[in-house]
Amino acid sequence: MACWIRAFVFQASDDMDIQTAPNPLIAILSIPWAILRGAFRFVGRLRANTSGMIGFIGLVAYFIFTFILPRFIEFDNEPNLDEIVGPIGSRIQLAVHQDNAQLVTFEDLAGKTVGVVDQTGGPDLIAPYADTLTIEKYRWTSRRAGPGLEASLIDLANKEIDALLVFSKTVTELIHNQENPELRALFDDNIVISNPALGPPHLLGTDTQGRDIATHVVHGGRVLILTALIGGVISTVIALFLGSIAALTGGVLDSALTALTNLILAIPRFPLLVVMAGLIRFDNTLYLGVLIGLLGWPPLMRAIRSQVLSLRERDFVEVARSLGLSTNHIMFREILPNMISYVMINFIFSITFAMYEQIGLVVLGLAPINDYTWGVMLYFGRSRGTLYNPDGASMALSPVLAIAFFQVCLVLFARALEEIFDPRLRAAV
Amino acid sequence: MTKRIILLAVMLFALGAFAPALAQGETLNVAWPYQVPPTGHFNTFASGGIALGQYQDIHEPPLAVLLWATGEYEGMVAEEFGWDADGNYVIKMVEGNSWSDGSAMTADDLMATFNIFRLRGDTVWANMSGIEKVDDSTVKFVMDAPSSLVERIILTTNLRPASVFGDIADRAAMMDAGGDGWDDLLQELTAFRPESPVSGGPYTILPDTINEANLMMELNPGGFAGDIQNFDMVRMWNGETEVVTPLVSNEELHYITHGIPPTTEEAFANQGIDIVRSGMNNGPGVYVNHAVYPLNLVEVRQAIAYAIDRVQNGVVSLGESGVAVEYMTGMSDGLSDAWLSDDTIDALNTYEHDLMKAEELLQSIGFSRNDAGTWMDDNGDPLAFELTFPQEFADWSAAAENATAQLNDFGFDITTRGVQFQQHPQDIYSSNFEMAIRNWGLGDPIPGRHYLQAYNRYNGQGDLAGEGGGGGMNFDNNVDYSGGMVNVFDLSNASSQGVDQAVQAELVTQLAVSYNELLPAIPLWERYTNNSLNRRFISVPDDSEPIFANFGGGADNWMTYLILTGVTAPAGRRPGRAGGTGHAIGSLLQRTAAGDPALGTLHQQFAESQIHQRTR
Amino acid sequence: MESRSLNARPVTPGYNKIIDAIRKALKNYTVRVFVQAILTIWAVATLTFLLVREMPGNPIDVLIEQILTQEGISYQEAYDRVAASFNFDPNASVLDLYLDWLTDLLRFDLGTSITSPGTEVIDEIARFLPWTVFAVGMGLLISFVLGIILGMTMAYYRNSFLDHSLSLLSSFMTGVPNYIWGLLIIIVLGIQLNLFNVGELRGTYDISLVPGLNAAFVLSVFKHAALPIATYVIATLGGWMLNMKSSTMGVLNEDYVNVAEARGLKDNRIITSYVGRNAALPLFTQLTIAVGFVLGSGVVIEEIFVYWGIGHYLFQAITVRDYTSMQGVFLILTMAVVFSNLFADLTYGLLDPRVRVSGER
Repeated sequence: MACWIRAFVFQASDDMDIQTAPNPLIAILSIPWAILRGAFRFVGRLRANTSGMIGFIGLVAYFIFTFILPRFIEFDNEPNLDEIVGPIGSRIQLAVHQDNAQLVTFEDLAGKTVGVVDQTGGPDLIAPYADTLTIEKYRWTSRRAGPGLEASLIDLANKEIDALLVFSKTVTELIHNQENPELRALFDDNIVISNPALGPPHLLGTDTQGRDIATHVVHGGRVLILTALIGGVISTVIALFLGSIAALTGGVLDSALTALTNLILAIPRFPLLVVMAGLIRFDNTLYLGVLIGLLGWPPLMRAIRSQVLSLRERDFVEVARSLGLSTNHIMFREILPNMISYVMINFIFSITFAMYEQIGLVVLGLAPINDYTWGVMLYFGRSRGTLYNPDGASMALSPVLAIAFFQVCLVLFARALEEIFDPRLRAAV
Repeated sequence: MTKRIILLAVMLFALGAFAPALAQGETLNVAWPYQVPPTGHFNTFASGGIALGQYQDIHEPPLAVLLWATGEYEGMVAEEFGWDADGNYVIKMVEGNSWSDGSAMTADDLMATFNIFRLRGDTVWANMSGIEKVDDSTVKFVMDAPSSLVERIILTTNLRPASVFGDIADRAAMMDAGGDGWDDLLQELTAFRPESPVSGGPYTILPDTINEANLMMELNPGGFAGDIQNFDMVRMWNGETEVVTPLVSNEELHYITHGIPPTTEEAFANQGIDIVRSGMNNGPGVYVNHAVYPLNLVEVRQAIAYAIDRVQNGVVSLGESGVAVEYMTGMSDGLSDAWLSDDTIDALNTYEHDLMKAEELLQSIGFSRNDAGTWMDDNGDPLAFELTFPQEFADWSAAAENATAQLNDFGFDITTRGVQFQQHPQDIYSSNFEMAIRNWGLGDPIPGRHYLQAYNRYNGQGDLAGEGGGGGMNFDNNVDYSGGMVNVFDLSNASSQGVDQAVQAELVTQLAVSYNELLPAIPLWERYTNNSLNRRFISVPDDSEPIFANFGGGADNWMTYLILTGVTAPAGRRPGRAGGTGHAIGSLLQRTAAGDPALGTLHQQFAESQIHQRTR
Repeated sequence: MESRSLNARPVTPGYNKIIDAIRKALKNYTVRVFVQAILTIWAVATLTFLLVREMPGNPIDVLIEQILTQEGISYQEAYDRVAASFNFDPNASVLDLYLDWLTDLLRFDLGTSITSPGTEVIDEIARFLPWTVFAVGMGLLISFVLGIILGMTMAYYRNSFLDHSLSLLSSFMTGVPNYIWGLLIIIVLGIQLNLFNVGELRGTYDISLVPGLNAAFVLSVFKHAALPIATYVIATLGGWMLNMKSSTMGVLNEDYVNVAEARGLKDNRIITSYVGRNAALPLFTQLTIAVGFVLGSGVVIEEIFVYWGIGHYLFQAITVRDYTSMQGVFLILTMAVVFSNLFADLTYGLLDPRVRVSGER
């Protein structure tokens, strides 16, 4: 990432001609101005590139989604025992006796007796109206003493209460698909759903504790993306630095660096991490990102080294060298711009790698699960068997999709950058 | 043309789907993870052997099975068994059975089995001074000290063939333990690899069929209960939960004892697969390090017990199979019911979810909340701890997550950390923890052994393995409770000695009451099995039968009992083939069918307490 | 100077010759990288030797834990029983063990399994490795070839609808981890659509067939490997496509392509021998390196599909802390990584003439 910012600032500053600026204040001010102007130009060029634009918008959306939205949406940490693995869009509904079908909203319920089951989403929903109506609480009990939900439905059917707040999945399972023939008849004859959308819908369903998955997805991106960015940047920077040094200097240093890279590449990852997990605690995003970065650079370093090796034999580099231009100049002005597309693509892969590396670290207990990231969601979603249940698969698949679409946006955006910054491609566009 | 190819492909797929269904006619499809030879082998005395868990019973039959509903043993290979006048244990075996290699099943097999136990240093020999062959079918176990524990170990033993292990066993019998050549013989036993499996049960493994997907067992007509079987073959699918789950969904596999996550269970139930639950006598609990202030204060532990809603914790962790512990005695509620008097049970503190009580307890020892609502101890330090758990255990991790959330709602400041599952117990042994989720109890009907988990395994035994000395949870086993001063570790051991149940019950009561008062650890819920049983393929009695009180995994498993008694049958067939010779149908079922009045009430009680609502 | 050194260290002419020969040999690039590779393997193997022993729990602990969760005996009793029947001394000197292991290694002896006495580690590796090599190799080959073709197509039809949709698809495919693809294949295709029989496809081949070069056996091998291969292809295809597209776009703008076009060469000729060949060059290097890694990357896939290869063997060894088996497998994996890197280094010059020039300079 550092490289493209650099290349980008360079280009902008050429236009501004900073060197001739008359006084230092203007010179200093001209830098943000240059960046701003560069950004405008960049967006202007981006507009010509449809898929790049999509990627750019996508990334902005991700930023809003993971960094700003969490301030407004609360993480749902309240287990709701009847809402366990609710399907997408499931919500609390209002069940009434069919004689009371006119009761639809909370306002209609004023003065009536309304049933809720504790340990479910119902009590929270009805709390604001507590003084206008009579609340009948049912205890959600374990199997040992008989199901409290069933008791509440029987009471409703027998008109002991006027209405009942009940979860849509319970409606399907306990009312519509009732196996007990007597209860089935009782419910069929007496209970109707007067308001199928009383509570807010669970957009992505609920997890194995009956918590809203959508809020977890909103909150699960920040730490994961930050860590992955840190990890990706660190490994790319190390790889770029060591790779180009090795290729440009050659000799002993090159051999040593290559040997080091091969060594790190070949160390078996699993025992290393397990042993580290016993020694160090990574309860900090930054540390975790650094760890991932330090583990991830060798493959990219090899790739960059060979790219630089190849590029430095090209004609334009030869020409620059024969003109006596400095190594710095050759590296940053001749070689780097030609490698940007390559580095970008690999940077993006290293971000995905860093994301999934974090999930691997969750398994080993290296990454803290107090940050309920997409990685932790995926890990728990899989280990708690949600993939085998169509109602519950959202718990494992939502984070996967979130990560995969993030990847899509990154790739589209990177391709746009690639076309904008690669001098040869730009000529062709 | 293309259409034809597609049609052909579809037909091929359809054929592929139907082919196994046709071949399966009389095959029982069950599952247990095993290793393929040579890693997996047929020496069931050494680690890594193809032992097949509870299904080892149908290959190497057990001497007897405990009927948990009545507390009685029903003989299997042992026809008559019991203590003689001198306090020795005598077993007379059923005659007329043979091993799959043709040799007769006699007392020699029993002698060989126990001589190898001696070589291996098994616990059972701590109470025995020798074994004697009385006649071809009778063996006498000479006891130092008779106990119900040793009886259980003997009776749940799987019989091994003398034709395979006799040589090593005979040589071991001639030697003094630890004498010349003892260690070499032990090494020889460990490295011993029988060429082929020899079965004395109704089915025998076909070694040529063993591959990583499954293995086949064919009927062994001469073996124990071989003449009353309703299946011709058993197909044993290989693998852990995630691997066998698709096979159950696909209806290729019809009965599993694997613990499946509740979400998967729900999908199975929706598909019409029966979920059978029985108590496992163990489950997760919150262990605390008693060297960490203020977790060593009994009020703090009691407050934790009050502050956690165990019903919620159990349900979010393991669904209907996570049943909240009610009595909090350190053993399962079922065992408490069986061993404690009604008065004792009534006097127990059940620590029902009550935040007010928790609040009062903490205030009573001078703790208070700060402005943010977090509890501060009398030194002004927040009640901030780290709770660790084995990360790979899906149910325990959920329990940890939920318990933490509940305690933090109450004003604790707990952070959770998952630890690799093999590291986690080592951390506990070496006292490297503050709070942790570990098991209370274990799948065994003898109470004294449950308490060894808390008072021995997690308390001060970590130094044995050379992992650096540690005091475990640092609990002082000399406790002072309302019943006086006792050493709970000694009590645990003493309570499984002797054969007088009244004496044992007295000791168990002391253990239970002291645990209930002091809460060295806080039990959360008891794990029930959630065996998936596809009744479209397998016919077994309705799960309100008392036999379903038996353990759903390990020794005394109800399914292997029903196979060994010839009850399990292909669906559509009446269970229990009439006219079966030998052992015939299980006595418990016969008595139920005959309307035994003693069983009548039991049956009813059981049906009431049974937790088997299939679907909500 | 010369005479002094001769006086100080009287060496036989033969010895001198050998030293000279070694010096000369080390100047040779190929020999040098070979020596370096061997040293790397040794260093990693040594590190692995220490690491696996530093992992929490040893083979005895693992068994004790198993017994303790099943039987209610005291820790001491469990320890005595396990320690007695086990060919493992937790207090043995690590240095002695290491030297033993190293000397055995020089004779190509990887030792016997700790937890399954009498089982030669080398035999087990020989049993499991071929399946992994087959499945992973096929997967890599298919996804590489497909990736090259699709990547070039994307570059040629840049900014078309095809390009956009393939871009989306490929970046999506790389964004989903391979074990999720594996589980989805089983759940969606196997269970819900019932396109194949999940249990029947398990294992590496049909056990009732005689292994050999007969049609039935080969067919069975391919049938059983189909799902793992499909998973590997899906999970890696996107990466090759994106890389190939990026590389092709670079080449398309090179002068020689323009020259070729100007010379009026046929499009097909340009695509295959000019653009395709040059664009695929850097990818070949990546392919070689990937080969080294994929051997160890299929652990979860092999478990999910019950397709037991080296990944499964490693998984088992890790679970029971079978140190010798773990060392053996890690050694093989290390060698694969190091040698594939070596191969990439050596062939890179051959493939790319521009680098060959510099290498000689």
